[in-house]
Amino acid sequence: MTLIEFDRVTYVHQTTGGTALKDINLKVEKGETVAVVGENGAGKTTLVRHINGLLKPSQGSVRVDGVDTRETTTATLSRKAGIAFQNPDHQLFSDSVENEVRFAMKNFGFSDATVAERCDWALGYFGLEEYRKTSPLILSGGEKKRLTLACILAWDPSIVILDEPTVGQDANQKEKLSQIIKMLKDGGKTVILVSHDIEFLWPMQPRLVVMSGGRVAADGPMGEVMGNKELIEGARVTQPQLLRLYLALKAKPRTAFLEVQDAGRWLSGGAP
Amino acid sequence: MYWLAGGFVFRRVISPFHKLDPRVKLLISGEFFVLALAAFSIVEVAGVLAAIILTAAVAKSLRRIGRVFVFSAGFGIFIFVVNIIFGLGLVSAVLYSVRFLAIISSTSVFFVTTSPDELEQIMKWFRVPRDVVFAFVTAVRFIPVVMLDAFQIMDAQKSRGLEFEKGSIPRRLRNTIPLLIPLVVNSVIRSGELAEAMESRAYGSTPRPTSLYGLSMKWYDRLVTIVSLVLTAGALYIYYSVRFPF
Repeated sequence: MTLIEFDRVTYVHQTTGGTALKDINLKVEKGETVAVVGENGAGKTTLVRHINGLLKPSQGSVRVDGVDTRETTTATLSRKAGIAFQNPDHQLFSDSVENEVRFAMKNFGFSDATVAERCDWALGYFGLEEYRKTSPLILSGGEKKRLTLACILAWDPSIVILDEPTVGQDANQKEKLSQIIKMLKDGGKTVILVSHDIEFLWPMQPRLVVMSGGRVAADGPMGEVMGNKELIEGARVTQPQLLRLYLALKAKPRTAFLEVQDAGRWLSGGAP
Repeated sequence: MYWLAGGFVFRRVISPFHKLDPRVKLLISGEFFVLALAAFSIVEVAGVLAAIILTAAVAKSLRRIGRVFVFSAGFGIFIFVVNIIFGLGLVSAVLYSVRFLAIISSTSVFFVTTSPDELEQIMKWFRVPRDVVFAFVTAVRFIPVVMLDAFQIMDAQKSRGLEFEKGSIPRRLRNTIPLLIPLVVNSVIRSGELAEAMESRAYGSTPRPTSLYGLSMKWYDRLVTIVSLVLTAGALYIYYSVRFPF
C-alpha cells in the first residue's frame, strides 16, 4: 500500500527563487524504511518537509495516505507524519521534560489518560525517566536529541521522519538509535531517514534514495545502489567502508559484508 | 515575514549608489528623513517619496523598497483611519500616511545599501565606543540568522500540531510561547559561543586595534554630497516659500 506519493514535484524557494526539487517522482510503501542521502543542498530536507505539509509543491502533488498535502494543514498531517528535526534546540521550550513530551499530544487532542500513559512509555523507553521534572533546556545534546524522538514517538505517528538523527551522538547512542529504528520497522512504521552517516545506515540496508541537485539520482536497495561507484561519487556520497573493503579485495564473496565480523570470518576463510 | 523584512536587510548589488561612501548614504537618507518630516503638504511629501523611489531605482533596489511599502502599508492605513476618526480631515490623513511611508522608506534606502562593515566604519567615525559598535553591528549581522531560526522553530512546532493562526487572540498570543522561548534560548547560546570565539581570537587584547579598511571620500562622493545638500536646501526653501493647495 502506497503511503507517500510524490508526483512530478518541483519546488521553488519563494525567497531565493532557486529550484530546490526538480520533477520528483517517488512512492513509499507502508512499513518501508527509506534513507535519503546526498550532498549538502541536494534537496533532502526540502523533500521530507513536503511530507507533513511544511512545504507545498510549486508544481505536481504530494499525497500522504491518499490526502493531497495542499488540501490540509501541517497540524493534521503531522498526526500521521512526525518529524524529528536536526537541531533539538529548535523545538524544546517547556518547563519540564514531561511537559515537553505532552505538548504535541495535547495539541492533537489526546485524552488525559492517554497522554499520561504515552508520556510514561516514551520517557521510560528513551531513558529520560529521571529527568521527568527537569527543564529540557539544561539537558546534554544527546539527551535533547533523545527527548525530541520521545516527543514524536509518544503520539505514535505512522510515518517517522528523522532528519540527521546521528549528528552529535556517541557510539552508544547510535546503537540505541539503530535499535529504535528496528523497533519502528518491526512495528510496521514507515521510517524515513535523512542522513550523511552512511556507516550508520549500512547495517540496516534500507531502501536508498540518492539526491543530487534537487533530483533523485538513484533509488533502490542500499547494497545495489552503493555498488554503483560512479553514480555514488557523482552524488558526492561515500561508499561504506565494508563495501570498499569488499571491492578492494577484488574477490567475489556471495554478498557484501554487513558487519565487521562478517568480513573477519570471510578473511579467515569462512563464508561471509 | 522574511520577505517583508528583506526591505531592511543589506543586499550586495553593483550600483552607483552602493559605491558611495557610507557617510554620504547616511546623509542622503537623513535628508530624506528631514524633508519627509518637514513637509507641509501632500505635494511636498509625495515629492520626497518620488525622490526616494528614484534613489532606490539608481541603487537597483526598487523591489526591496517595494517590500517596505507593503510592510508599512498596514500602519499607513491605521494612521489614515485614526486621522479620519478624530476629524482631522482627508488631507491631513493622507499627508500623515504618506509621510509615514516616506520616513520608513528613507531609512530602508540606507540599510538596504549599506553593509554591516560600512555600518561599523560609520559608527567608528562618529567615535562610538568599540564595544558598542561591535555589539550593534553583530546584532545587525545576525538579524537574518535569527529570522531563519524563527522559521525553523515555527516549522518544528507546527510539526507537533501547533497552529499559530488558529483560535482567539489570547490563545494565539499563548501559542507564541513555544516560538519565543527557543528563539531567545538559541540567541543566548549563540551569543555566548560568539563571545568565547571572539575571546579565543584575541578580541579586547589591545585597547586600540588597527583597522584593515578605512573610509575615504572620492570625488564623486563629494559631488553627490554637494548636490544633495543643494537639493535639500532648495526643497526646504520651496516648503517655506510656496503654498500648495493640498
